[in-house]
Amino acid sequence: MGTISVEHSDRLYWLGRYTERTFTTLKALQKIIDGMIDQKLAYTDYLAYFDLPDVYSDNMDFVRSFLYDKKNMNSVAHNIRRSYDNGIVLREEISTDSLSFLQMAKDTLDKAGASENVMLSLLPLEDILYAFWGSVNEHIYDDEIRNIIYIGKTLERLDLYIRMGYPFGIVEKESIRLMKNLHRVPKISPYRYNTQYLSDLVEVLGTEEDYKKHPGKALESLNHLFEREEKRA
Amino acid sequence: MPEFINTQFTQAVGNAVEINELLRRYGVKFGIYKNGVFKEQFFPFDPIPRVIAAEDFRSIEKGLVQRVNALNEFLFDIYHEKKIVSDGIIPEDFIYISKGYLAQCEGITPKNRIYSHISGIDLVQAKNGEWFILEDNLRIPSGASYPLIARALTRIASPAAFLENKIRDNRNYADMLKEIMEYSNCGGIRAILTPGRYNAAYFEHSYLAEHTGSALVQNDELFVEDNMLYQRTYSGGKTRIGVLYRRISDEYLDPLTFLPGSLIGIPNLMEAYRSGNVGIINAPGNGVADDKGIYYFVPKMIRYYLGEEPILHNAPTYLPFYDDDRKYVTDNLHKLVIKDVSEAGGYGVVFGNELSSEKLDELKQTILAEPRRFIAQEVIDFLDLPILDNGETVMRKADLRAFVLSGETTKVWASGLTRFSRNPDSFVVNSSQGGGFKDTWVLSQ
Repeated sequence: MGTISVEHSDRLYWLGRYTERTFTTLKALQKIIDGMIDQKLAYTDYLAYFDLPDVYSDNMDFVRSFLYDKKNMNSVAHNIRRSYDNGIVLREEISTDSLSFLQMAKDTLDKAGASENVMLSLLPLEDILYAFWGSVNEHIYDDEIRNIIYIGKTLERLDLYIRMGYPFGIVEKESIRLMKNLHRVPKISPYRYNTQYLSDLVEVLGTEEDYKKHPGKALESLNHLFEREEKRA
Repeated sequence: MPEFINTQFTQAVGNAVEINELLRRYGVKFGIYKNGVFKEQFFPFDPIPRVIAAEDFRSIEKGLVQRVNALNEFLFDIYHEKKIVSDGIIPEDFIYISKGYLAQCEGITPKNRIYSHISGIDLVQAKNGEWFILEDNLRIPSGASYPLIARALTRIASPAAFLENKIRDNRNYADMLKEIMEYSNCGGIRAILTPGRYNAAYFEHSYLAEHTGSALVQNDELFVEDNMLYQRTYSGGKTRIGVLYRRISDEYLDPLTFLPGSLIGIPNLMEAYRSGNVGIINAPGNGVADDKGIYYFVPKMIRYYLGEEPILHNAPTYLPFYDDDRKYVTDNLHKLVIKDVSEAGGYGVVFGNELSSEKLDELKQTILAEPRRFIAQEVIDFLDLPILDNGETVMRKADLRAFVLSGETTKVWASGLTRFSRNPDSFVVNSSQGGGFKDTWVLSQ
């Protein structure tokens, strides 16, 4: 398949990233909301993972900002909109059906904002995001297109999991997923990996001990994964 | 409206909320710029369909095929020998003064001699049931995607309405479009050229790309090399485009041929087109045939090119260019609708009965100074259609945009875009001016 434009490949990649960022943020917030039953400031660890300042007066102030505040770049509301903005120009690749799940996700989040039971009203959002991925799988016949979205998705997930200190076993599985996706990329492509950075990533994520010692190196390798070979000093 | 149909409205109307929710879910939107700011809006949908009886549609169909065939003949003639001018049927002025006439298209013959592949013909039905042609749109008529997706969704929301009535299926539009694109394909993939997400009709561009299996492209990924049009791919390769359904205006298509400042065009596209290496849908230069001034002459074209009497009639129209018409128009301005031929989208339309005597006098002076710029039409007392407004049924003005597709043969899509005015006193139905749309049921028997 040779008809993916540069612009669309970029959109596909970011569609994967933003949709995953929405999903993982949502899952993390669900855990925090649950923790709020027992803890006064259940969100402080979460802010620390991302080096974010604590400017929140209480648990609910934090939750409102990270769920609904479109100006907060780390919020679910912001990321689902970025996901939609990328998806809307990819209709012929991902299908109207898949796009409809992103519209539904936006609408569901808006409705949840008015609900008294946040946890309950957010459950359909999780379902919708699962359905989105099912629909993407169902409707995309072109493996190259699917692979670019999945590179974005798995890279984003790995980045967030490492930042949030997920257990090695889970991170290792996600890194294997990313490797599989990366090896499917044609040699000339913006998503062709930089061999040195990939090798660094594999090294850090090779053992639990290295993962615990050097998470920063793993994140740096992820951030530079698609740099052209000659760029690295 | 046949009485048996009425009973089915109950269900469609009862499901208005569900249908509108589905339209929202599937992102049926159009873009609009207000005070320079882009806004995406959902296109208001009315669940009460317009119903066209089978026999009525057969006659409309014949009339539309006849009209579009004549218009295609006219376009070929105008960009070649101009016999219709030399034979005195249309004054030369109306051709060369038209903004839509493009000298750069002289001598170009598109593949299979088709200029208007997709024609959007606007009609209204008078209270006596007669249909009149209001306007021909032969450049980039938009709107087919809305009834197309609305039908798919209303069938989900109101299945009984479709089970109990013999309604022609309209979900074949994308197949018809694909067929005519292939008929003009000069070798390569099919592509739809969009100016981008912030265009009013972006939903339509992307929806039709998806459903015709065409690539949705923008100018920055296209280039012309050795007189062929290519798409640049992300892996460093190129893919030849054989037919381009462009959704940008003629003047922006190619900065080396038309507006040099165009940032959305493709340099040298016209050379590739002239060489027969890429089909362009619709052909550049079609604006000369859907000019509001040329509209007056379409019945004459039908007689001239086809030797037939027009089946569908124009709304009674006057050209201030002619002395007799000018006198009639200036004497009767208060009861006519005046259209500026250079405007589109419902703009530049003035109803004489809404103007003060000072404004009428001002308009009269402008017409006398620039008679070629205007046409005047009798106001047709056209049929109001029922629409649902906050739970109540009210009557509103509506028109019908019929889509005529020209490929190996000329076919009329058994559907169309019925647009209505939301304002009780308005005849203007354009979505850009707040109008909504409804499904158009063409009965099969």
